[in-house]
Amino acid sequence: MAIRSSDSGQTRRNFLKLAGTMSAGAVVSRHTGEIAQALQQATDGPIEVAWLQGQSCSGCTISLLQGQYPTLEETLSEFRMELTFHPTLMAEHGEAAIESMSKSPDVLVLEGSVPTEIPSAATVAEKPIYDWVTELAPEAEYVIGVGNCAAFGGWPAAENKRGLHELGENVTGAKGLQFEQRSQPGVLGPDFKAGSGHPVINLGGCPPHPDYVLLTIATVLNGHEPDLDRYQRPKPFYEPLVHDNCKWRGYFDRGEFADKPGEEGCLYKVGCAGPYTNCDDQTRLWNDGTSVCLNVGAPCIGCMEPGFWDRFQPLDKEVEQQNIFGVDVETAGLAAVGAGVVGIGAHAARKAMGYGTSEQDGDGDQSESAVEERTASDADQQSDTETGADKPE
Amino acid sequence: MVEVKIDPTTRIEGHHGMELEVEDGQITEARSTMKMFRGAEIITVGRSPRDAAQLTGKVCGVCFICHRIGSSRATEDAAINAGAFDGIPEHAKILRDAVEGIFFLWNHAIHLFALVGPDYSDAVADTGFERLDPLEGEGYQGALENQRKLMQALAEFGGRAPHPLAFVPGGVATNPDVSTVQTVKSRLREVSNWLGPTDAVPEVLENVQNGEFDPELGEGLHDVVSILVAAAREGAADLGSGPNRYYSNGLFREPESDERIFKRGVYRDGSAELMTKDEIVEAISEHTEYSYYTDDSGGPPTEAKPPDPDPNKEGAYSWGKAPRFEGQTMEVGPLARLTISGYDPFDLRANLGGGSDESNTLNRLIARAQEVLIVRDRVLDLLDAFDPSEPLMADFPDDYTGKGVGLWEPSRGTLSHYVDVENGEIERYQIITPTLWNIGPRDGEGNPSIIEGAIVGDEVADIENPINVMRTVRSFDPCLACSVHVDSPEGSYETELKPASPGGMTDVGDD
Repeated sequence: MAIRSSDSGQTRRNFLKLAGTMSAGAVVSRHTGEIAQALQQATDGPIEVAWLQGQSCSGCTISLLQGQYPTLEETLSEFRMELTFHPTLMAEHGEAAIESMSKSPDVLVLEGSVPTEIPSAATVAEKPIYDWVTELAPEAEYVIGVGNCAAFGGWPAAENKRGLHELGENVTGAKGLQFEQRSQPGVLGPDFKAGSGHPVINLGGCPPHPDYVLLTIATVLNGHEPDLDRYQRPKPFYEPLVHDNCKWRGYFDRGEFADKPGEEGCLYKVGCAGPYTNCDDQTRLWNDGTSVCLNVGAPCIGCMEPGFWDRFQPLDKEVEQQNIFGVDVETAGLAAVGAGVVGIGAHAARKAMGYGTSEQDGDGDQSESAVEERTASDADQQSDTETGADKPE
Repeated sequence: MVEVKIDPTTRIEGHHGMELEVEDGQITEARSTMKMFRGAEIITVGRSPRDAAQLTGKVCGVCFICHRIGSSRATEDAAINAGAFDGIPEHAKILRDAVEGIFFLWNHAIHLFALVGPDYSDAVADTGFERLDPLEGEGYQGALENQRKLMQALAEFGGRAPHPLAFVPGGVATNPDVSTVQTVKSRLREVSNWLGPTDAVPEVLENVQNGEFDPELGEGLHDVVSILVAAAREGAADLGSGPNRYYSNGLFREPESDERIFKRGVYRDGSAELMTKDEIVEAISEHTEYSYYTDDSGGPPTEAKPPDPDPNKEGAYSWGKAPRFEGQTMEVGPLARLTISGYDPFDLRANLGGGSDESNTLNRLIARAQEVLIVRDRVLDLLDAFDPSEPLMADFPDDYTGKGVGLWEPSRGTLSHYVDVENGEIERYQIITPTLWNIGPRDGEGNPSIIEGAIVGDEVADIENPINVMRTVRSFDPCLACSVHVDSPEGSYETELKPASPGGMTDVGDD
């Protein structure tokens, strides 16, 4: 089928070219070879994808539709991927829709969390999503949790602060595929491996960047070993620290803080979670390079992180005030100024703050450590940092 | 009698099914079943009012801007009623209207081309119209390209889309400059060019009827008109008939006055009744007899005992509640807005759809297409009136105590957020979404919802493939994610809503 090039001329050929040269090149180009190969290989035969939605808002699907390199249409046609089931995009309905779904897909994608306490809180064809996931995942070559809900439980797993109904802190028992918030296990258990031998690949984010989804699929289709962090997120996307590449970083180093969102200055004091959030969207940008939250004066809310939503609550208060990290960043920022040498000051601030701490420690093999609950307190994280502060640059 | 279950209904947002009883090829009974629950209001309670906009904005990845603004308006209204806030700046209101307008265009494009359009395409219905074949048709792909441009326009102000973070209580947390506004306008113009000139509608209609395609007159317009013509040929005007009762919260204020392009009020018994915010709030209550919530969970959203989930409740079949307006079902959405405001551009509904105020499957599509043409001009007017150098955020204290209601009017229809704040913490939260009005369950009197009533009486030619039922379901542009929820704590509350304080910039609430 012919794919019409768009007004801006983004054909597949251009995608391959762009993948090597676009500004986020440091990340993308590292994979250009694999992506090109994966695309070629995928073109040799159809790749079956089943995309299920649990307790979802469809935001991840809508995000996917915004992808440009490649677009979803290109992925599905040029790369011969068959979306055998996707509730929002498919032609069929009812029984025919269920019949068309691959029951042993090459890639199983889940969007949305899985309710474990009230299984009827998300069903497809009268069958709880919990059953769909536990049946299909072992049959799939790759299982990908798209979005914070599927990966970590997301906001449906956020705390029922007032204990408003009897089921407890997590209203419906919402979980992610292999995690519940920052801990294991999720629905599939800590030892789960898909047919390829890989655990669930988590693409956190509310929503994740569309490139993360399509590039991850393209990469693993080549049999490339995904390089995952301790939360099973691909490192190339989830290693950079938002704070490092923020356009307000200079203001932070000078101790110049905004009093409210939208004002000039570093947004740390109005709740920015950038120093504790790992993703490359400050350089990758959203919507075809248009912008990113911090660029329009909206503090980072940490949506790429496991534990989002509760971890950074209340979102409009500085993280330090929440006593998560036990560090006064304002003082750290001012110390930077006091030091007179920005480089040193920044380093001190970094060290004090648990800069770059490593949520991404680990080699991706979760089998041993995963069993133990990942409830390392943030204070522990802080002490980890003492040794991990000097992140290679 | 044959029972037919359609689950999943697909090409809508979220988990939904239809259960039908069919006798002699005719539907005698219909149940609209909503199949997901997360507990948004429960989770919202106990948190900061500012965070409510962030959380409820993420209740739906399709209607994200609408919930952010609806929630922001509710908490701002509560602060105004508490005497703690003077309202948001004028230009923040203009910007909110403008982004909602861009959102309308985006949502209608996705709906017409990618969700409902395929029902009239060759791949799905063997109509010979191939441009909207899912993912493969040129029209479908053109729409995907253009919806990206609209999302880029939204991202210029919001930082990203979906789930832009800049729309918050107090106004809009962004600092656009003149060039940002120019960029947004040029994106809109590109999409406008793809769509085609409004005054070409009659000529395009003639082209489509003659099987001609003239890209000079707009590819988008040809595709939209093709859908309408295909739907008319498939008999959609005789499908999905509603009660001709409509409700809208109104939208798109004129910057110079409080007049709205889309009026606030209801339409019933053949005429429009314009209403105030208080009259609307007074008129609404919710039923839970057929919902998976305890029996005593219904009532006015400003004071009702909150619904507790009861997943095994006998007789229940939906995670949605049943909102009613003075006890009546009301259809909401583009057809409601246009009928209440008296718009029927090019008399398309009068000529093709059996009457301007007739509720049916075809007219819902026509109204959506008409609204695209009205709104695109409106957005450009709003952006012309918008001065990015004016303040866009206003001070907003944290520790107030008050009750508030945020009425808003997203593309799918009326949206209302209700909040009680005590000392800066949310005590109670409720949301009533457009989709609940249209496709919720029966009420306590056993009255079917709009969609349940609309489907009864329709014919099902092929029970293996009840495509007309799906056409009607999709004509409502249902969006389930935000429609199922419960609200909050034990105990009941008295209504303490007061009119917004007069004068100045304080009409956030009331307008």
